[in-house]
Amino acid sequence: MGSVIELENITKVFRVLNRHAGLKGTFTDLFSRDYKNLVAVDHVSMSIEEGEMVGYLGPNGAGKSTTIKIMTGILEPTEGKLLVNGRVPYANRTLNAQNIGVVFGQRSQLWWSLPVIESFRILKEMYCIPDKVYKNNMEMFDELVGVSELYNKPVRQMSLGQRTLCDILAAFLHDPNVVFLDEPTIGLDVSMKSKIRELISVLNREKKTTVVLTTHDMGDVEALCRRIMIIDHGKLIYDNNIQQLKQFFGSYRTLKILPAGNVSFSEADLAKYGRQLLVLCPETRNVVFGSDEEWLTVLVPEDEISLIKVLEHMQTLIPFRDVRIEEITTESVIRKIYEGTSDAKPTLEAGHGE
Amino acid sequence: MISEQREKKEKLHRGAFYYPRIYRMIITQDIKSKMHYRADFYISTIGMLATNIAGFISFWLIFQSFPSINGWTYYEMLFLYAFSLLALTPVQLFFDNNWALRFNVYSGDFVKYCFRPLNLFFYYISETIDIKGAGQLVFGAGTLVYAWHHLGLEVSVRSMALLIVALTSASLVMIAMMNAAAATCFWVINSGTVMVFLFRFKDYAKYPMTIYNIGFQIVFSILIPIGFIAYYPSLIYLRAQDVSILTYLSPVIAVLFYYGSYKLWIRGAMKYSGTGS
Repeated sequence: MGSVIELENITKVFRVLNRHAGLKGTFTDLFSRDYKNLVAVDHVSMSIEEGEMVGYLGPNGAGKSTTIKIMTGILEPTEGKLLVNGRVPYANRTLNAQNIGVVFGQRSQLWWSLPVIESFRILKEMYCIPDKVYKNNMEMFDELVGVSELYNKPVRQMSLGQRTLCDILAAFLHDPNVVFLDEPTIGLDVSMKSKIRELISVLNREKKTTVVLTTHDMGDVEALCRRIMIIDHGKLIYDNNIQQLKQFFGSYRTLKILPAGNVSFSEADLAKYGRQLLVLCPETRNVVFGSDEEWLTVLVPEDEISLIKVLEHMQTLIPFRDVRIEEITTESVIRKIYEGTSDAKPTLEAGHGE
Repeated sequence: MISEQREKKEKLHRGAFYYPRIYRMIITQDIKSKMHYRADFYISTIGMLATNIAGFISFWLIFQSFPSINGWTYYEMLFLYAFSLLALTPVQLFFDNNWALRFNVYSGDFVKYCFRPLNLFFYYISETIDIKGAGQLVFGAGTLVYAWHHLGLEVSVRSMALLIVALTSASLVMIAMMNAAAATCFWVINSGTVMVFLFRFKDYAKYPMTIYNIGFQIVFSILIPIGFIAYYPSLIYLRAQDVSILTYLSPVIAVLFYYGSYKLWIRGAMKYSGTGS
């Protein structure tokens, strides 16, 4: 098994105009030569093996889409080398496209007014899919998700979930080596999410297709990926398996409390709650208090103390109207990783001073 | 480690009929789905015919008061008029998706066209066909035959072959103009204005260039080359004695304009796709 995707020090710099404010600024901009360089992707190297399923995470604007665009051949990197299926994507956009599949979030790539089956037939011609492969794949798809009753429905009339399902199937139709999935479960309900995760997982396993998945949903990551890569400010800050990542987020949850009556959340008050809670229960020394609008937030490290225990103690401290429990978000995991690695590798910190 | 980069262009071997086959498939489906909206189809066809008939009537009315315009007789003007209608048909029929380009670009949907293994411009343009343009084709052809007959023009293999070359080049010029106008949306926000502005100019194509002053003649020959849509090609038939050098050059110029507009379009598309998410 060889690498399907290889990136070596890939850097992408965009030249953007320095815009000036106001009406005068607008006129200045018309003739301005005042450009600044925006580093979207900063010396990223990676190697993805055949059949791997990789979660590619990062906050909005971190450089995820840019990397994907470079790998799909739409964008030429400013610096660095890359090979996808042994070819340079930007030098061979169409040839590269023949061997990859792409699903871009909520933007359906199927023909809007056509029944899905007609879209699939066009794709069959477009990718020159042999009859036998096409037939086998269609049978397999139907077995997996039972979509044949959808086939005569125009994409326009489908629900978001049905559309996403069909888009994913379309991306796998021509047996590509690599499939890029950009937020495939965004906006879907729980049952559809799990259906789509199951589908991706089976297709990856059965067809040995390499899958690069970008998402903001930790559920997707946990269900699908053994390997995670995290990009932030254009730099790859994490590339390891999911177990390692769980050390950063697995044990944390946030308890949100809506107090009854007017409660202020000044620094002093938050510190006061911390002290009071510590008196009641000494295991809470790593609990972090904060606020989110009218909610009091309590970040609980659950391998030290259970969230229920904290809730019990909090009830004795302040009266409240409502509680919520939140899983930690990808963003906060990334923030934690960033904080964690920046101690060890101070060089990471230096790169993105604005 | 990546030891060597294979930057050389490799070719996909899909046979000579790949693009025609894909085109036929997509267009067939597009027509099929448009037929679902029959009322829409009939109304727009009737609208198209009404526009053409109204154009013709106002044209006819002018000639009720003036026997000729700048030395051009009724039938000669009719010839120009019909020629321009025919030359404008392909852009109407096959390149209609250019009008939707700016909406696709602003909404970000355009990126979806970039992931397919075929020419981006072809793929985008192939998506729709505007069948009501066919009505214009019939109307234009009928008018041209009528004018041709009344002018007593020769009907021969040579004149027909010339007509096809002339019409093709004229269409290419118009297509090139609309490609370039549509492509501005990759750089500027207000590209709709550019398209409408250029599209309006097609109305000046059906008059002889000689009625405009020298300034406009230069503009219409170089900047907004509508002179090539009807006037310069028609000189062969109508003013054989003062055929301009531009008439003979028009196929070359048309191909150059078209190629330039195509390059501009692709360049804009690639530039655009890189930005945004």
